[in-house]
Amino acid sequence: MRDGDREDRDLHRRLASGDRGAFDELYRRYSGSAYGLAYRVTGQQILAQDVVHDAFMALWRAPEAYDPARGPFRTFFLALVHHRAVDLVRRESRLRARSERAANLEPLVGEDPAEAIAEESYLGVRRKEVREALVGLPPEQRQVLEMAYFDGKTQVQIAEELEIPLGTVKTRTFAAMRKLRAALEDAG
Amino acid sequence: MIDRHAEAQELLAGYALQSLSGEDAAEADRILAEHVPGCSECRQMVDAFQAVAGELALEAEPIPPPDPLLPRIHREMEPRGRSGGRWTSGRLVAAAASVVLVVGAGGLAITQLGDRKTPQVPAADVQELVDFAIHHKTQAQTLGGNAQEISARGVQELYVYGRGVPAPRPGFVYRLWAMSATGATHLRDFLPYPDGTVLVRLEVDPSTFDHLLVTMEPAGSEPLVPGEPAWPETG
Repeated sequence: MRDGDREDRDLHRRLASGDRGAFDELYRRYSGSAYGLAYRVTGQQILAQDVVHDAFMALWRAPEAYDPARGPFRTFFLALVHHRAVDLVRRESRLRARSERAANLEPLVGEDPAEAIAEESYLGVRRKEVREALVGLPPEQRQVLEMAYFDGKTQVQIAEELEIPLGTVKTRTFAAMRKLRAALEDAG
Repeated sequence: MIDRHAEAQELLAGYALQSLSGEDAAEADRILAEHVPGCSECRQMVDAFQAVAGELALEAEPIPPPDPLLPRIHREMEPRGRSGGRWTSGRLVAAAASVVLVVGAGGLAITQLGDRKTPQVPAADVQELVDFAIHHKTQAQTLGGNAQEISARGVQELYVYGRGVPAPRPGFVYRLWAMSATGATHLRDFLPYPDGTVLVRLEVDPSTFDHLLVTMEPAGSEPLVPGEPAWPETG
């Protein structure tokens, strides 16, 4: 287990006992990643804020949702953020509008895009590993993966958009996930 | 012959990315409930894919959230252990709290206390139910079979939740219908998880029908008209 993961686990344990300082530290560590992900998926600042707000409130209200025995806090929490972001864009039927803006996300207002996130070094290392693993995928596999994950599209929608059989989307997705799993496990 | 594991794992990959819909989503739910608990290979794959789904988030560029967000969250954070508060349905909250979320590596599984080896209801689904109870004034209607309809006036969303729900006869599924004066509308089929938990979320306006009906029907049959109530004593 990496040091950062161990620290996260301790912070979560403190949070579960009602320690607001631990909550604030987890917010400091993950709000940037969470907001970046939510913004990438929803394409709108207001929706991204709602996603991050709801995810952190869910963490505060039901910390037992995370079981440290089954993996790092990071993957649990960011998967939760992703779930909420995708759910939000689907529920509000904004997928089409969001997709139309996909190539040109709503400009960030009130923030300095150039402002660097002062994130933990372990998070930066992992981010680099994830990006390298993605770059290592065949382009057609990466395409379906990103359309599903970051555009919030279903496999049926992806098949229609790319004009390929649904089975091909499933096969490419499966292959991509297996390769990513292997690459990320190798990376640590 | 179809490789059952490969077929299941292909669906589980899509499930981890939340990219399934329609029959594939229903089939993934069924696999998670019926196959995964007894298959260590697929259990490991579920955890692995959920971990990948969590790590993929790091591909997105981190962006500092607006400054007012944390103070907004602070204002809404109740002291831990306070009773009441914003919970609007004590009964529902008690039910939701009675399950233990076992979410690992983003792993979407919950189980009852003391039974941590059995993957069950997706934790994200439970979280949605909890959120629903937090944000709306909910009401519960008994459906029979230890299941309840949880809804809120004016909200186009409802849940069917139950614990200790008996499994249907082998080869059969439960079928959910919206009953009104104009007839029956098929909503979806479902199976309890192995521990008897049922959690079904529906995007439907409760004001558009009179009541829900649960029937027991042969799996895969055409949902044309409702058969016999699954739980005639109360259904």
